Amino acid sequence: METDDELVAKTKSGDLGAFKDLVKRYEGKVAGVTRSMLGSTADAEDVGQEVFIKFYESLKKYRGEASIGTYLTRIAINLSLNEIKKRKRRWSVFSLEDEGSAIPAEENKMDLKELLLFELDRLEPDFRAVVTLRLIEGYSTEETSQILKVPLGTVLSRLARAQVKLRKGLSEHLNE
Amino acid sequence: MIKNVNEELLAKSFDANLSHVELDELQHTKNDIQAKKLLAQHGKLRQLLLRKEQDSFGPFFAERVVNQIKRLSKEIDYQIYFFFKKYQLAAVGLVIALIVLNIFLSDTITVKSVLGFENQPAGSDSDLIENLDLFNELTN
Repeated sequence: METDDELVAKTKSGDLGAFKDLVKRYEGKVAGVTRSMLGSTADAEDVGQEVFIKFYESLKKYRGEASIGTYLTRIAINLSLNEIKKRKRRWSVFSLEDEGSAIPAEENKMDLKELLLFELDRLEPDFRAVVTLRLIEGYSTEETSQILKVPLGTVLSRLARAQVKLRKGLSEHLNE
Repeated sequence: MIKNVNEELLAKSFDANLSHVELDELQHTKNDIQAKKLLAQHGKLRQLLLRKEQDSFGPFFAERVVNQIKRLSKEIDYQIYFFFKKYQLAAVGLVIALIVLNIFLSDTITVKSVLGFENQPAGSDSDLIENLDLFNELTN
């Protein structure tokens, strides 16, 4: 199996087949991040595609300072945050309810995991980003800080506050 | 039961190296029932969130990405092509305008004057004659 560096080198010399292998290798990671940030929607896949296209376009600048997984995760988080901002503008233009404020009509039929994802969707984007990276994708707090380019203290603070919000949203169900 | 358990501190304890002050505060809540309950809930929440399976965008995602890249690079090629085509007419017009200008500015209508070449200075021919003389001198 070819290493990431070998695939990147081949892609840089015009081999799209090598790039396709890279996409297959990291699709899961990118899907995990965009779906956590945007929900299991078509937007998540559109953003996922955009992540890889941006990566392809920026390959000339890629020097291997970070691993490809980390690099793609950073792009995925940034594009997801942009998409969330776009959604908010769309919601305000059409005067619909704020995203995440509606309580599901059939809450009692959702399982705990689904409720948790619903509560995650209600978090502020910055909080959602730290939860996605640290608690869902399993990055360390230091890696999360590097990916998001925020101080470690900020990551820890957002993480703690996000966790409290999630816990409060699910308090009745967590005792089951 | 301790009132107002610092829930953020409890949550923070999962990830951060706490200071002595924070550790002391946590120690005091160690045996508190509410604190234990909160801690357990946070632990469960974190367990639920942690990804256990690889996610995916479905079959042929990589192919869709590559096709999109190919389509975008074709679009760029078309943009470059249409850019030159758009300004081709302007470029031809400019060349014609320059030729017309040269014709108006020159005294005679010759190929050189139309193309904007200056008249050759008189000295250059005599230089050539001098060079020929030198050749004769050397060979004789």
